Amino acid sequence: MENKLYVVSAYTENQVGLLGVIANIFTRRNLNIETLQVFPSEFEGIHRFTIKTRTTQDQINRVLMQIEKKVDVIKAFSYVDDEVLMLEHAQVGAFLAAREAEYESDK
Amino acid sequence: MITGSEILLDSFIAEGVDTIFGYPGGQIMPVYDKLVDYTDRLRHILVRHEQGAIHAAQGYARVSGRPGVVMVTSGPGATNVITGIADAMADSTPVIVVAAQVSTALLGTDAFQETDFIGLTTPITKWCYQIRRPEDVAWAVARAFHIATTGRPGPIVLDLTRDAQVGIAEAGHKKCDFIRSYVPRPKPSAENIVKAAEMINAAEKPFVVYGQGVILSGAEKELAEFLNKGCIPAGTTLLGLSALPSNFPHFKGMVGMHGNIATNVLTQECDLLISVGMRFDDRVTGKTSTYASQAKVIHIDIDASEIGKNVPVDLGIVGDAKDVLTQLLPLVQKRDRSEWETTADMYGDLEKHKVIEPEVFPESGRIKMGEVVNKVAEVSGGKAVIVTDVGQNQMIGARYSRFAQSRSMITSGGLGTMGFGLPAAFGAKVGAPERTVCLFVGDGGIQMTIQELGTVMQEHTGIKIILLNNNWLGNVRMWQELFFDQRYSSTRMLNPEYSFIASAYGLKYRFVEQREELDDAVREMLFDDSAFLLEVHVEEMGMVFPMVPPGKSVNEIMLNGTDWFEYGE
Ligand SMILES: Cc1ncc(C[n+]2csc(CCOP(=O)(O)OP(=O)(O)O)c2C)c(N)n1
Repeated sequence: MENKLYVVSAYTENQVGLLGVIANIFTRRNLNIETLQVFPSEFEGIHRFTIKTRTTQDQINRVLMQIEKKVDVIKAFSYVDDEVLMLEHAQVGAFLAAREAEYESDK
Repeated sequence: MITGSEILLDSFIAEGVDTIFGYPGGQIMPVYDKLVDYTDRLRHILVRHEQGAIHAAQGYARVSGRPGVVMVTSGPGATNVITGIADAMADSTPVIVVAAQVSTALLGTDAFQETDFIGLTTPITKWCYQIRRPEDVAWAVARAFHIATTGRPGPIVLDLTRDAQVGIAEAGHKKCDFIRSYVPRPKPSAENIVKAAEMINAAEKPFVVYGQGVILSGAEKELAEFLNKGCIPAGTTLLGLSALPSNFPHFKGMVGMHGNIATNVLTQECDLLISVGMRFDDRVTGKTSTYASQAKVIHIDIDASEIGKNVPVDLGIVGDAKDVLTQLLPLVQKRDRSEWETTADMYGDLEKHKVIEPEVFPESGRIKMGEVVNKVAEVSGGKAVIVTDVGQNQMIGARYSRFAQSRSMITSGGLGTMGFGLPAAFGAKVGAPERTVCLFVGDGGIQMTIQELGTVMQEHTGIKIILLNNNWLGNVRMWQELFFDQRYSSTRMLNPEYSFIASAYGLKYRFVEQREELDDAVREMLFDDSAFLLEVHVEEMGMVFPMVPPGKSVNEIMLNGTDWFEYGE
């Protein structure tokens, strides 16, 4: 399978130590992180990581699943570098709204 | 206002904790001090080494379904539980470890008994958190219990700084049942359920492989109904053992390296493999490129990251095993597939003849491990909780034990931790005091945590320890025989006189070397509820067969040192 440059984008709670948690998912699989940014996202209290790495589609799928598995991670996405970052915003917004609604209806 | 230490203990009680396995030390002393006032509500079991505490908590959790709780001091107390945390992570066991930490002012200064415990345990916990303020204690404990016990369970570490223990805050525990970033019980896709039912109904030769997920989700009944309705044969992973009773008609045995011939061959002959609550570990799959490659594969698991991780699947369903099976059940057609099922029985007969009978009913020579395990199953009526250590004792224990109810097999599967058995057995007895708990352990493994006999003595924990003594690190010796030209490197072991050890710890003891004495000895051991060490001198060069050697396909099976399984035998 072909190696490509991927961008992984992850929305997380603002918790100490998450950078290490997420970075470790890459290092455990011997994936070199080419660039990394962490910054507050458009959603209040939610941070966004973007990480570039060169690997295969299969591996990136596994990495995404491992990232999403972490308790404080809300959603993770991946793109081939030249794809446009789109839809994420809508998806995260929809996810949060659905979780809120679920919580409200449980009460 | 009360101290963080009291908040911690109140929170434990609010979460239903009755037992803590632990060991005190400098930094955790404020909590231990408060513990004195809680002895009527919390039982603290003082182990002899912190590794014993965590394996005991694992045994407790596995047998009872309730999370195990461990409390240790900072530094070496904390690092001593790391093996057990990794074990609990690999085997999805809910345990909560509270480890003390130096005061916040000293963090990062290499203070006495400071270790970066969060840094050390982040990769091997489901969640870990450093508690720096007393007002965060209740919140963190509540979150810990929620995360440990829901979804795919796992270990939690709470790194409790001294400030959080001695500082004061408002009393009051509020349970946690919602974390917005965490979806513990994903709803299975209705569309995929329909697809799965179609695939199952269209299959002529379906085969189910299930794992511990069935036990963790409490789906034993649903699984049995599903198999009955579709008339589908099933095999279990090591950790799934006991989810179905051993005499259940569709149960065909264990899969994997030392699994049964029938289940491994059915994997390679089925047209549809339905896996439920298992993760295709390499000890299960052998060579993945050929594993069930003729079949379509449906993978049902609560952990989305497991789907497609090791084996490509045609259909993945992310969900709790009980939810998925419940929804599948009405859609699955009642079918008679008994012709296909009899294939399994044919291989079962072959294994019985070639492997099982010589292991369980040998006519001469030294006692074999299989005979002992079979005898315990016979005398206990298959009702005991079976705990094993790691090695040949584990594989033979798994193969020849019989189970009548769920949560009756406790073993270290994913990590394969020698030394797990003894503490896990007493933890299991604490978690299920009304049940008989039998431990199969080797002479190597028992010595890894033998100090816990002290705990057994102090707590009057009536476990039945069956020491299968072969004077070797048997499993490694076996691999040296098979794969390293019989060059026995560092596997011969000089053993202590175990009768002295038993009497030093006040344990009942019996030694057996002659086949004729075995029955009587096992009956004596199981006669009452006191702790017992039964040492059996077993065949020194014993082997575990059948075996799928590493890297082989699961239908390439060694029947003994020279013969391989062949079709049409
Ligand atoms: C902590 C640990 N160290 C080493 C091993 C490797 N190992 C696996 S089985 C085994 C031999 C076990 O010997 P023994 O306890 O006597 O049991 P037997 O196989 O003879 O039943 C060893 C050394 C392990 N699984 N765990």
